[in-house]
Amino acid sequence: MQPERPDSFDLRLLIASGLLLLAIVLVWWQVERVPEPIALTPTLTGQTEYCLTCHADLPEISPSHPVETFGCIICHGGERLALEADLAHSTLRGGANPSDLTVVEQSCCGGDCHSGTSAQGRDHIQRVLTSLQSTYTGAITSVRYTFGAQPDLTPRFGALSITDTESKTGISALTAFDPAAETNPLLQKFGQSCLTCHLNAAPRQGAAYDRFTGCSACHSPTSLRLPQSSANLGRVHRLTTAIPYTQCNTCHNRGNYDLRLMDFIERADQPVKRLDDYYQPLAEFVQCEYTLDCIDCHTRSEAMGDGDLHPDQASFQYVQCKTCHGTLNELPLTKTLTDPNDLAFKLARLNPVIDLKPGDTIIITEQGEPLWNIRQLPDGRFEMVGKATRQYFTFRPVLGTACQQNPAEQESRYCHQCHAVERNHAHP
Amino acid sequence: MPTHNRRNFLKLAAASPLSASGILTLGGLLRYLSHPAHPTPSTEFNLGPAENHPPGSRTVVAEGSALLIHDENGFRALSLVCTHLGCTGEATGDGLLCPCHGSCFDADGQTHNDPATKPLHGLRVEINAKGRVALYA
Repeated sequence: MQPERPDSFDLRLLIASGLLLLAIVLVWWQVERVPEPIALTPTLTGQTEYCLTCHADLPEISPSHPVETFGCIICHGGERLALEADLAHSTLRGGANPSDLTVVEQSCCGGDCHSGTSAQGRDHIQRVLTSLQSTYTGAITSVRYTFGAQPDLTPRFGALSITDTESKTGISALTAFDPAAETNPLLQKFGQSCLTCHLNAAPRQGAAYDRFTGCSACHSPTSLRLPQSSANLGRVHRLTTAIPYTQCNTCHNRGNYDLRLMDFIERADQPVKRLDDYYQPLAEFVQCEYTLDCIDCHTRSEAMGDGDLHPDQASFQYVQCKTCHGTLNELPLTKTLTDPNDLAFKLARLNPVIDLKPGDTIIITEQGEPLWNIRQLPDGRFEMVGKATRQYFTFRPVLGTACQQNPAEQESRYCHQCHAVERNHAHP
Repeated sequence: MPTHNRRNFLKLAAASPLSASGILTLGGLLRYLSHPAHPTPSTEFNLGPAENHPPGSRTVVAEGSALLIHDENGFRALSLVCTHLGCTGEATGDGLLCPCHGSCFDADGQTHNDPATKPLHGLRVEINAKGRVALYA
Protein backbone atom coordinates (compact mmCIF):
# COMPACT_ATOMS: atom_id res chain seq x y z
CA MET A 1 0.00 0.00 0.00
CA GLN A 2 1.36 3.33 -1.05
CA PRO A 3 1.42 6.07 1.61
CA GLU A 4 -0.98 8.96 0.95
CA ARG A 5 0.58 12.06 -0.42
CA PRO A 6 0.52 14.88 2.16
CA ASP A 7 -0.58 17.45 -0.48
CA SER A 8 -3.62 15.38 -1.36
CA PHE A 9 -4.62 15.15 2.33
CA ASP A 10 -4.23 18.91 2.81
CA LEU A 11 -6.33 19.59 -0.28
CA ARG A 12 -9.16 17.37 0.97
CA LEU A 13 -8.97 19.01 4.37
CA LEU A 14 -9.19 22.40 2.71
CA ILE A 15 -12.30 21.36 0.73
CA ALA A 16 -13.96 19.79 3.80
CA SER A 17 -13.32 22.83 5.99
CA GLY A 18 -14.58 25.12 3.23
CA LEU A 19 -17.79 23.10 2.93
CA LEU A 20 -18.21 23.14 6.71
CA LEU A 21 -17.85 26.91 6.77
CA LEU A 22 -20.32 27.24 3.90
CA ALA A 23 -22.83 25.04 5.72
CA ILE A 24 -22.52 27.06 8.93
CA VAL A 25 -22.87 30.35 7.06
CA LEU A 26 -26.00 29.02 5.32
CA VAL A 27 -27.52 27.95 8.63
CA TRP A 28 -26.68 31.33 10.17
CA TRP A 29 -28.20 33.14 7.18
CA GLN A 30 -31.35 31.03 7.44
CA VAL A 31 -31.65 31.77 11.16
CA GLU A 32 -31.19 35.49 10.51
CA ARG A 33 -34.05 35.43 7.99
CA VAL A 34 -36.50 34.18 10.61
CA PRO A 35 -38.23 37.14 12.24
CA GLU A 36 -38.04 37.74 15.96
CA PRO A 37 -41.15 35.98 17.25
CA ILE A 38 -44.01 37.93 18.80
CA ALA A 39 -45.42 35.66 21.46
CA LEU A 40 -49.01 35.59 22.62
CA THR A 41 -50.38 33.29 25.29
CA PRO A 42 -54.19 33.42 25.10
CA THR A 43 -56.00 32.99 28.38
CA LEU A 44 -58.31 30.33 26.94
CA THR A 45 -55.56 27.96 25.82
CA GLY A 46 -52.56 28.99 27.92
CA GLN A 47 -50.34 27.90 25.04
CA THR A 48 -47.93 30.36 23.48
CA GLU A 49 -48.38 31.02 19.79
CA TYR A 50 -46.33 33.08 17.36
CA CYS A 51 -48.97 33.97 14.78
CA LEU A 52 -48.78 37.69 15.55
CA THR A 53 -45.18 37.72 14.32
CA CYS A 54 -46.61 38.13 10.82
CA HIS A 55 -50.27 38.96 11.49
CA ALA A 56 -50.04 41.72 14.08
CA ASP A 57 -51.66 44.19 11.70
CA LEU A 58 -54.92 42.25 11.45
CA PRO A 59 -57.84 43.94 13.19
CA GLU A 60 -59.66 42.20 16.03
CA ILE A 61 -62.12 39.81 14.46
CA SER A 62 -64.95 40.83 16.80
CA PRO A 63 -65.42 42.22 20.28
CA SER A 64 -66.59 38.76 21.35
CA HIS A 65 -63.34 37.14 20.27
CA PRO A 66 -60.48 39.30 21.62
CA VAL A 67 -57.13 37.95 20.54
CA GLU A 68 -55.73 38.12 24.07
CA THR A 69 -58.38 35.64 25.14
CA PHE A 70 -58.77 33.42 22.09
CA GLY A 71 -55.49 33.80 20.21
CA CYS A 72 -55.52 32.55 16.63
CA ILE A 73 -54.94 28.80 16.81
CA ILE A 74 -58.13 27.90 18.64
CA CYS A 75 -60.19 28.97 15.62
CA HIS A 76 -57.79 28.73 12.70
CA GLY A 77 -55.65 25.76 13.63
CA GLY A 78 -52.09 25.88 12.27
CA GLU A 79 -48.68 25.28 13.82
CA ARG A 80 -48.55 27.68 16.72
CA LEU A 81 -44.77 27.91 17.11
CA ALA A 82 -43.76 27.84 13.46
CA LEU A 83 -42.18 30.98 12.06
CA GLU A 84 -41.98 29.83 8.47
CA ALA A 85 -45.21 30.56 6.59
CA ASP A 86 -45.69 27.25 4.81
CA LEU A 87 -45.13 25.24 7.96
CA ALA A 88 -47.23 27.56 10.12
CA HIS A 89 -50.15 27.32 7.69
CA SER A 90 -49.79 23.62 6.90
CA THR A 91 -52.50 22.55 9.33
CA LEU A 92 -54.92 25.46 9.03
CA ARG A 93 -58.58 24.49 9.21
CA GLY A 94 -60.54 25.36 6.09
CA GLY A 95 -57.57 27.16 4.55
CA ALA A 96 -58.07 30.82 5.32
CA ASN A 97 -61.71 30.27 6.29
CA PRO A 98 -62.19 28.24 9.46
CA SER A 99 -65.94 28.76 9.25
CA ASP A 100 -66.28 26.50 6.23
CA LEU A 101 -68.97 24.00 7.14
CA THR A 102 -66.60 21.07 6.71
CA VAL A 103 -64.51 22.25 9.67
CA VAL A 104 -66.82 24.56 11.55
CA GLU A 105 -67.44 22.11 14.40
CA GLN A 106 -63.72 22.12 15.28
CA SER A 107 -63.07 25.76 14.47
CA CYS A 108 -65.95 27.27 16.38
CA CYS A 109 -65.15 25.19 19.42
CA GLY A 110 -67.93 22.68 19.10
CA GLY A 111 -69.68 22.04 22.39
CA ASP A 112 -67.71 24.72 24.19
CA CYS A 113 -69.03 27.65 22.20
CA HIS A 114 -71.23 27.46 19.12
CA SER A 115 -72.55 23.94 19.22
CA GLY A 116 -75.12 22.67 21.67
CA THR A 117 -78.79 22.85 22.44
CA SER A 118 -81.20 25.67 21.79
CA ALA A 119 -81.82 25.84 25.54
CA GLN A 120 -78.15 26.63 26.01
CA GLY A 121 -78.31 29.17 23.20
CA ARG A 122 -75.35 27.46 21.59
CA ASP A 123 -76.98 25.61 18.70
CA HIS A 124 -75.63 27.94 16.02
CA ILE A 125 -73.89 25.22 14.03
CA GLN A 126 -76.84 22.84 14.13
CA ARG A 127 -79.17 25.59 13.00
CA VAL A 128 -76.96 26.54 10.09
CA LEU A 129 -76.38 22.97 8.94
CA THR A 130 -80.11 22.21 8.87
CA SER A 131 -81.11 25.56 7.37
CA LEU A 132 -82.33 25.83 3.83
CA GLN A 133 -79.35 28.05 3.07
CA SER A 134 -77.18 24.98 3.63
CA THR A 135 -79.41 22.22 2.33
CA TYR A 136 -80.93 24.00 -0.67
CA THR A 137 -83.42 21.19 -0.56
CA GLY A 138 -86.38 23.23 -1.83
CA ALA A 139 -84.80 23.82 -5.21
CA ILE A 140 -83.41 20.31 -5.47
CA THR A 141 -86.77 18.75 -4.60
CA SER A 142 -88.70 20.99 -6.92
CA VAL A 143 -86.46 20.40 -9.92
CA ARG A 144 -86.24 16.65 -9.38
CA TYR A 145 -90.03 16.44 -9.09
CA THR A 146 -90.52 18.61 -12.18
CA PHE A 147 -88.32 16.34 -14.26
CA GLY A 148 -89.87 13.15 -12.96
CA ALA A 149 -86.97 11.99 -10.83
CA GLN A 150 -89.21 11.69 -7.76
CA PRO A 151 -92.95 11.08 -7.48
CA ASP A 152 -93.80 13.87 -5.05
CA LEU A 153 -92.42 16.97 -3.37
CA THR A 154 -91.18 15.17 -0.28
CA PRO A 155 -87.63 16.40 0.45
CA ARG A 156 -85.13 13.59 -0.07
CA PHE A 157 -81.90 15.31 -1.06
CA GLY A 158 -79.90 18.27 0.14
CA ALA A 159 -76.67 19.95 -0.88
CA LEU A 160 -75.16 18.11 2.07
CA SER A 161 -76.08 14.96 3.95
CA ILE A 162 -77.77 15.87 7.21
CA THR A 163 -79.96 14.31 9.89
CA ASP A 164 -82.33 15.95 12.34
CA THR A 165 -83.03 13.56 15.18
CA GLU A 166 -85.52 15.91 16.84
CA SER A 167 -87.40 16.93 13.74
CA LYS A 168 -90.53 18.99 14.28
CA THR A 169 -91.26 19.18 10.57
CA GLY A 170 -91.35 15.47 9.80
CA ILE A 171 -88.13 15.69 7.77
CA SER A 172 -85.57 13.68 9.66
CA ALA A 173 -82.78 13.29 7.11
CA LEU A 174 -81.54 14.39 3.72
CA THR A 175 -79.14 12.52 1.47
CA ALA A 176 -76.41 14.44 -0.32
CA PHE A 177 -77.59 15.25 -3.82
CA ASP A 178 -75.32 13.67 -6.44
CA PRO A 179 -76.02 15.03 -9.92
CA ALA A 180 -73.90 12.27 -11.48
CA ALA A 181 -76.35 9.70 -10.16
CA GLU A 182 -79.24 11.30 -12.05
CA THR A 183 -80.22 9.78 -15.37
CA ASN A 184 -81.84 12.90 -16.80
CA PRO A 185 -79.14 15.10 -18.42
CA LEU A 186 -81.03 18.22 -17.40
CA LEU A 187 -80.78 17.24 -13.76
CA GLN A 188 -77.08 16.66 -14.24
CA LYS A 189 -76.88 20.13 -15.75
CA PHE A 190 -78.83 21.51 -12.81
CA GLY A 191 -76.23 20.04 -10.50
CA GLN A 192 -73.40 21.57 -12.45
CA SER A 193 -74.85 25.03 -13.04
CA CYS A 194 -77.32 25.82 -10.33
CA LEU A 195 -75.83 24.69 -7.03
CA THR A 196 -73.57 27.64 -6.39
CA CYS A 197 -75.43 29.53 -3.76
CA HIS A 198 -75.89 27.21 -0.82
CA LEU A 199 -73.68 28.14 2.09
CA ASN A 200 -70.85 25.78 1.45
CA ALA A 201 -70.65 26.13 -2.33
CA ALA A 202 -67.81 28.10 -3.83
CA PRO A 203 -69.35 31.24 -5.29
CA ARG A 204 -69.42 32.08 -8.96
CA GLN A 205 -66.62 34.23 -10.31
CA GLY A 206 -66.99 37.99 -10.16
CA ALA A 207 -67.34 40.81 -7.67
CA ALA A 208 -71.14 40.49 -7.59
CA TYR A 209 -70.81 36.99 -6.11
CA ASP A 210 -67.93 37.74 -3.76
CA ARG A 211 -68.50 35.87 -0.52
CA PHE A 212 -66.94 33.17 1.58
CA THR A 213 -68.37 29.79 2.51
CA GLY A 214 -69.82 28.65 5.83
CA CYS A 215 -70.60 31.16 8.57
CA SER A 216 -68.45 33.75 6.85
CA ALA A 217 -70.72 33.74 3.81
CA CYS A 218 -72.91 36.09 5.82
CA HIS A 219 -70.94 37.12 8.91
CA SER A 220 -67.76 38.25 7.11
CA PRO A 221 -69.08 40.75 4.57
CA THR A 222 -66.71 41.14 1.69
CA SER A 223 -67.34 44.89 1.70
CA LEU A 224 -64.97 44.80 4.69
CA ARG A 225 -62.02 43.40 2.78
CA LEU A 226 -58.74 44.68 4.17
CA PRO A 227 -56.28 46.60 2.03
CA GLN A 228 -53.75 44.31 0.43
CA SER A 229 -50.66 43.70 2.52
CA SER A 230 -48.12 40.94 2.62
CA ALA A 231 -49.75 39.16 5.54
CA ASN A 232 -53.47 39.60 4.97
CA LEU A 233 -53.78 39.32 1.18
CA GLY A 234 -56.92 41.44 1.14
CA ARG A 235 -58.83 39.07 3.37
CA VAL A 236 -61.76 39.85 5.63
CA HIS A 237 -60.89 39.46 9.29
CA ARG A 238 -64.23 40.33 10.78
CA LEU A 239 -67.24 38.53 12.18
CA THR A 240 -70.30 40.70 12.54
CA THR A 241 -74.05 40.49 12.94
CA ALA A 242 -74.39 43.85 11.18
CA ILE A 243 -74.77 42.26 7.78
CA PRO A 244 -75.50 44.69 4.94
CA TYR A 245 -77.95 43.83 2.20
CA THR A 246 -75.09 43.82 -0.28
CA GLN A 247 -73.82 40.64 1.34
CA CYS A 248 -77.24 39.00 0.98
CA ASN A 249 -77.23 40.08 -2.65
CA THR A 250 -74.19 37.95 -3.42
CA CYS A 251 -76.66 35.06 -3.47
CA HIS A 252 -80.11 36.59 -3.57
CA ASN A 253 -79.94 39.07 -6.40
CA ARG A 254 -77.50 37.61 -8.82
CA GLY A 255 -79.63 36.60 -11.78
CA ASN A 256 -82.17 34.00 -12.76
CA TYR A 257 -82.44 30.37 -13.61
CA ASP A 258 -83.26 29.41 -17.15
CA LEU A 259 -85.28 26.26 -16.60
CA ARG A 260 -85.43 25.48 -20.31
CA LEU A 261 -81.66 25.27 -20.60
CA MET A 262 -81.24 24.40 -16.92
CA ASP A 263 -78.65 27.09 -16.59
CA PHE A 264 -78.03 30.11 -14.44
CA ILE A 265 -78.21 33.43 -16.25
CA GLU A 266 -76.10 36.02 -14.50
CA ARG A 267 -77.28 39.58 -14.32
CA ALA A 268 -75.42 41.64 -16.86
CA ASP A 269 -76.23 44.99 -15.30
CA GLN A 270 -74.12 46.53 -12.61
CA PRO A 271 -76.23 47.75 -9.68
CA VAL A 272 -75.82 51.46 -9.09
CA LYS A 273 -79.09 52.83 -7.69
CA ARG A 274 -80.68 50.53 -5.19
CA LEU A 275 -84.26 51.41 -6.05
CA ASP A 276 -83.85 50.85 -9.76
CA ASP A 277 -81.07 48.38 -10.14
CA TYR A 278 -80.58 46.14 -7.21
CA TYR A 279 -83.66 43.99 -7.32
CA GLN A 280 -85.28 41.86 -9.93
CA PRO A 281 -86.75 44.36 -12.37
CA LEU A 282 -90.34 43.13 -12.41
CA ALA A 283 -90.90 43.01 -8.69
CA GLU A 284 -92.72 45.65 -6.69
CA PHE A 285 -91.27 46.97 -3.47
CA VAL A 286 -92.29 49.24 -0.66
CA GLN A 287 -89.90 51.73 0.83
CA CYS A 288 -88.90 49.39 3.65
CA GLU A 289 -87.68 46.83 1.17
CA TYR A 290 -85.24 49.06 -0.61
CA THR A 291 -84.27 51.34 2.27
CA LEU A 292 -83.68 48.87 5.07
CA ASP A 293 -81.30 45.96 5.19
CA CYS A 294 -82.64 42.43 4.92
CA ILE A 295 -81.72 41.71 8.54
CA ASP A 296 -83.78 44.64 9.79
CA CYS A 297 -86.94 42.62 9.12
CA HIS A 298 -85.95 39.00 8.61
CA THR A 299 -85.12 37.24 11.84
CA ARG A 300 -82.18 35.10 12.82
CA SER A 301 -84.19 31.88 12.55
CA GLU A 302 -85.42 32.84 9.10
CA ALA A 303 -81.90 33.57 7.90
CA MET A 304 -79.87 31.09 9.88
CA GLY A 305 -82.34 28.31 10.50
CA ASP A 306 -84.27 27.22 13.55
CA GLY A 307 -82.66 23.81 13.97
CA ASP A 308 -85.23 21.92 11.92
CA LEU A 309 -85.04 20.70 8.36
CA HIS A 310 -87.60 22.57 6.25
CA PRO A 311 -88.87 21.64 2.79
CA ASP A 312 -88.71 25.07 1.20
CA GLN A 313 -88.41 28.80 1.80
CA ALA A 314 -92.14 29.40 2.03
CA SER A 315 -92.42 27.01 4.96
CA PHE A 316 -90.23 28.98 7.34
CA GLN A 317 -90.16 32.58 6.18
CA TYR A 318 -92.91 34.22 8.11
CA VAL A 319 -92.17 37.89 8.77
CA GLN A 320 -94.65 40.11 6.96
CA CYS A 321 -95.47 43.81 6.89
CA LYS A 322 -97.96 43.26 9.70
CA THR A 323 -95.22 41.93 11.99
CA CYS A 324 -94.08 45.50 12.55
CA HIS A 325 -97.09 47.51 11.42
CA GLY A 326 -99.95 45.42 12.75
CA THR A 327 -103.33 45.39 11.05
CA LEU A 328 -106.49 47.45 11.03
CA ASN A 329 -107.64 45.86 14.25
CA GLU A 330 -104.42 44.72 15.94
CA LEU A 331 -101.25 46.37 17.06
CA PRO A 332 -98.00 44.56 16.41
CA LEU A 333 -96.97 42.07 19.09
CA THR A 334 -94.75 43.62 21.72
CA LYS A 335 -92.85 42.60 24.79
CA THR A 336 -91.60 44.66 27.71
CA LEU A 337 -88.09 43.60 28.67
CA THR A 338 -87.64 42.72 32.32
CA ASP A 339 -85.23 39.77 32.38
CA PRO A 340 -81.57 40.83 32.05
CA ASN A 341 -80.96 37.48 30.35
CA ASP A 342 -83.54 38.19 27.64
CA LEU A 343 -82.30 37.25 24.19
CA ALA A 344 -83.03 40.80 23.02
CA PHE A 345 -80.32 42.18 25.33
CA LYS A 346 -77.82 39.63 24.10
CA LEU A 347 -78.48 40.40 20.47
CA ALA A 348 -78.35 44.12 21.14
CA ARG A 349 -74.96 43.68 22.82
CA LEU A 350 -73.58 41.86 19.80
CA ASN A 351 -74.54 44.74 17.54
CA PRO A 352 -74.92 47.77 19.78
CA VAL A 353 -76.95 50.04 17.56
CA ILE A 354 -79.57 50.65 20.23
CA ASP A 355 -79.22 51.06 23.99
CA LEU A 356 -81.89 48.68 25.22
CA LYS A 357 -82.81 48.96 28.87
CA PRO A 358 -85.01 46.94 31.19
CA GLY A 359 -88.52 48.33 30.88
CA ASP A 360 -88.21 49.00 27.15
CA THR A 361 -90.96 47.57 24.96
CA ILE A 362 -89.89 46.00 21.69
CA ILE A 363 -91.73 44.30 18.84
CA ILE A 364 -91.70 40.52 18.74
CA THR A 365 -92.75 38.24 15.92
CA GLU A 366 -95.60 35.78 16.02
CA GLN A 367 -93.02 33.12 16.88
CA GLY A 368 -91.74 35.21 19.76
CA GLU A 369 -88.47 36.26 18.18
CA PRO A 370 -87.39 39.71 19.36
CA LEU A 371 -87.09 42.50 16.81
CA TRP A 372 -84.72 44.09 19.28
CA ASN A 373 -83.89 47.08 17.12
CA ILE A 374 -87.52 48.30 17.16
CA ARG A 375 -88.64 49.98 20.37
CA GLN A 376 -91.99 51.50 21.24
CA LEU A 377 -92.06 55.24 21.92
CA PRO A 378 -94.24 56.81 24.64
CA ASP A 379 -96.62 58.22 22.00
CA GLY A 380 -97.36 54.78 20.59
CA ARG A 381 -95.11 55.09 17.55
CA PHE A 382 -92.08 52.89 17.11
CA GLU A 383 -88.46 53.76 16.57
CA MET A 384 -86.20 51.52 14.56
CA VAL A 385 -82.44 51.62 14.18
CA GLY A 386 -80.88 49.99 11.12
CA LYS A 387 -78.75 47.05 12.21
CA ALA A 388 -76.19 47.61 9.48
CA THR A 389 -76.54 51.32 8.80
CA ARG A 390 -77.55 52.70 12.24
CA GLN A 391 -80.10 54.83 10.38
CA TYR A 392 -82.95 56.00 12.59
CA PHE A 393 -86.57 55.63 11.54
CA THR A 394 -89.92 56.11 13.21
CA PHE A 395 -93.21 54.63 12.11
CA ARG A 396 -96.75 54.30 13.36
CA PRO A 397 -98.90 51.19 13.45
CA VAL A 398 -101.70 50.68 10.93
CA LEU A 399 -104.35 50.69 13.63
CA GLY A 400 -106.05 54.08 13.65
CA THR A 401 -104.92 55.08 10.18
CA ALA A 402 -106.98 55.35 6.98
CA CYS A 403 -105.71 51.98 5.75
CA GLN A 404 -108.60 49.75 4.70
CA GLN A 405 -106.67 46.56 4.06
CA ASN A 406 -108.54 43.41 4.97
CA PRO A 407 -106.82 42.02 8.09
CA ALA A 408 -107.10 38.54 6.60
CA GLU A 409 -105.07 39.55 3.54
CA GLN A 410 -101.67 40.48 4.84
CA GLU A 411 -99.22 39.07 2.36
CA SER A 412 -96.86 41.74 1.10
CA ARG A 413 -98.43 41.69 -2.35
CA TYR A 414 -101.56 43.25 -0.88
CA CYS A 415 -99.57 46.02 0.77
CA HIS A 416 -97.71 46.59 -2.47
CA GLN A 417 -100.98 47.49 -4.20
CA CYS A 418 -101.02 50.82 -2.38
CA HIS A 419 -97.53 51.26 -1.01
CA ALA A 420 -95.21 50.14 -3.81
CA VAL A 421 -92.72 52.83 -4.62
CA GLU A 422 -92.76 53.97 -8.21
CA ARG A 423 -89.74 52.59 -9.92
CA ASN A 424 -88.10 54.14 -12.92
CA HIS A 425 -88.32 50.85 -14.74
CA ALA A 426 -84.86 51.14 -16.12
CA HIS A 427 -85.18 47.52 -17.08
CA PRO A 428 -87.70 46.25 -19.63
CA MET B 1 7.15 26.43 -5.82
CA PRO B 2 8.93 24.34 -3.20
CA THR B 3 6.85 21.47 -1.79
CA HIS B 4 6.91 22.59 1.84
CA ASN B 5 5.69 26.08 0.94
CA ARG B 6 2.75 24.63 -0.97
CA ARG B 7 1.96 22.34 1.97
CA ASN B 8 2.13 25.22 4.43
CA PHE B 9 -0.19 27.24 2.24
CA LEU B 10 -2.76 24.41 2.07
CA LYS B 11 -2.59 23.89 5.82
CA LEU B 12 -3.13 27.58 6.42
CA ALA B 13 -5.93 27.69 3.87
CA ALA B 14 -7.64 24.73 5.55
CA ALA B 15 -7.17 26.13 9.04
CA SER B 16 -8.85 29.47 8.22
CA PRO B 17 -12.32 28.10 7.37
CA LEU B 18 -12.06 25.71 10.30
CA SER B 19 -11.33 28.59 12.62
CA ALA B 20 -14.13 30.67 11.13
CA SER B 21 -16.51 27.72 11.48
CA GLY B 22 -15.53 27.31 15.08
CA ILE B 23 -16.03 31.00 15.81
CA LEU B 24 -19.43 31.05 14.09
CA THR B 25 -20.55 27.91 15.92
CA LEU B 26 -19.40 29.31 19.24
CA GLY B 27 -21.08 32.63 18.46
CA GLY B 28 -24.33 30.86 17.63
CA LEU B 29 -24.13 28.83 20.82
CA LEU B 30 -23.52 31.91 22.95
CA ARG B 31 -26.35 33.73 21.20
CA TYR B 32 -28.69 30.80 21.86
CA LEU B 33 -27.71 30.58 25.51
CA SER B 34 -27.99 34.31 26.06
CA HIS B 35 -31.45 34.60 24.39
CA PRO B 36 -33.82 36.09 26.94
CA ALA B 37 -36.63 33.84 28.02
CA HIS B 38 -40.17 35.22 27.98
CA PRO B 39 -40.49 37.10 31.26
CA THR B 40 -42.86 35.58 33.77
CA PRO B 41 -45.73 37.99 34.32
CA SER B 42 -45.70 39.65 37.68
CA THR B 43 -48.28 38.49 40.19
CA GLU B 44 -47.60 41.07 42.86
CA PHE B 45 -48.56 44.69 42.40
CA ASN B 46 -47.57 47.56 44.61
CA LEU B 47 -50.46 50.02 44.54
CA GLY B 48 -48.84 52.75 46.60
CA PRO B 49 -49.88 54.25 49.94
CA ALA B 50 -53.22 53.14 51.32
CA GLU B 51 -54.36 56.76 51.63
CA ASN B 52 -54.31 56.97 47.84
CA HIS B 53 -57.28 54.62 47.88
CA PRO B 54 -59.82 56.26 50.19
CA PRO B 55 -62.96 54.50 51.42
CA GLY B 56 -65.48 54.21 48.58
CA SER B 57 -62.79 54.08 45.92
CA ARG B 58 -62.61 51.46 43.20
CA THR B 59 -59.28 51.26 41.41
CA VAL B 60 -58.74 49.29 38.24
CA VAL B 61 -55.33 47.61 38.20
CA ALA B 62 -55.03 47.10 34.47
CA GLU B 63 -51.71 45.28 34.48
CA GLY B 64 -53.08 42.79 36.97
CA SER B 65 -56.59 42.58 35.44
CA ALA B 66 -57.97 43.35 38.88
CA LEU B 67 -60.23 45.78 40.70
CA LEU B 68 -59.16 47.12 44.09
CA ILE B 69 -62.16 48.03 46.24
CA HIS B 70 -62.06 50.01 49.47
CA ASP B 71 -65.43 49.87 51.21
CA GLU B 72 -66.74 49.83 54.75
CA ASN B 73 -65.20 46.41 55.28
CA GLY B 74 -61.75 47.50 54.24
CA PHE B 75 -59.69 46.59 51.23
CA ARG B 76 -60.56 43.72 48.93
CA ALA B 77 -59.93 42.93 45.28
CA LEU B 78 -61.70 41.12 42.49
CA SER B 79 -60.21 39.62 39.39
CA LEU B 80 -61.50 41.31 36.24
CA VAL B 81 -61.11 38.07 34.32
CA CYS B 82 -64.58 36.92 33.33
CA THR B 83 -65.38 33.43 34.55
CA HIS B 84 -67.11 32.61 31.26
CA LEU B 85 -64.20 32.52 28.80
CA GLY B 86 -61.49 34.62 30.39
CA CYS B 87 -61.98 38.00 28.73
CA THR B 88 -61.06 41.04 30.78
CA GLY B 89 -64.14 42.77 32.12
CA GLU B 90 -64.75 46.48 32.44
CA ALA B 91 -65.77 48.17 35.68
CA THR B 92 -69.13 49.90 35.23
CA GLY B 93 -70.73 51.82 38.05
CA ASP B 94 -70.50 49.49 41.01
CA GLY B 95 -70.52 46.34 38.89
CA LEU B 96 -68.57 44.79 36.09
CA LEU B 97 -69.43 44.05 32.46
CA CYS B 98 -67.61 41.61 30.23
CA PRO B 99 -67.37 43.14 26.75
CA CYS B 100 -67.04 39.77 25.04
CA HIS B 101 -70.38 38.14 25.68
CA GLY B 102 -72.17 40.52 28.00
CA SER B 103 -71.83 38.77 31.34
CA CYS B 104 -72.57 41.18 34.19
CA PHE B 105 -71.35 40.96 37.77
CA ASP B 106 -72.42 42.99 40.77
CA ALA B 107 -70.16 44.85 43.18
CA ASP B 108 -69.40 41.63 45.05
CA GLY B 109 -68.47 39.78 41.88
CA GLN B 110 -71.65 37.72 41.84
CA THR B 111 -73.14 36.99 38.42
CA HIS B 112 -75.98 39.25 37.42
CA ASN B 113 -76.67 37.72 34.02
CA ASP B 114 -75.22 34.94 31.94
CA PRO B 115 -73.38 33.51 30.06
CA ALA B 116 -71.01 33.54 33.06
CA THR B 117 -72.37 31.35 35.83
CA LYS B 118 -69.58 31.59 38.41
CA PRO B 119 -68.67 34.66 40.47
CA LEU B 120 -65.49 36.61 39.89
CA HIS B 121 -62.44 35.36 41.76
CA GLY B 122 -61.39 37.27 44.85
CA LEU B 123 -57.73 38.31 45.09
CA ARG B 124 -55.48 38.75 48.11
CA VAL B 125 -54.79 42.31 49.28
CA GLU B 126 -52.31 43.23 52.01
CA ILE B 127 -51.28 46.47 53.65
CA ASN B 128 -47.61 46.19 54.53
CA ALA B 129 -45.79 47.71 57.46
CA LYS B 130 -45.12 50.91 55.51
CA GLY B 131 -48.82 51.35 54.82
CA ARG B 132 -48.59 50.41 51.16
CA VAL B 133 -51.19 48.33 49.40
CA ALA B 134 -50.01 45.12 47.77
CA LEU B 135 -52.28 43.13 45.48
CA TYR B 136 -51.60 39.51 44.55
CA ALA B 137 -53.20 38.50 41.24
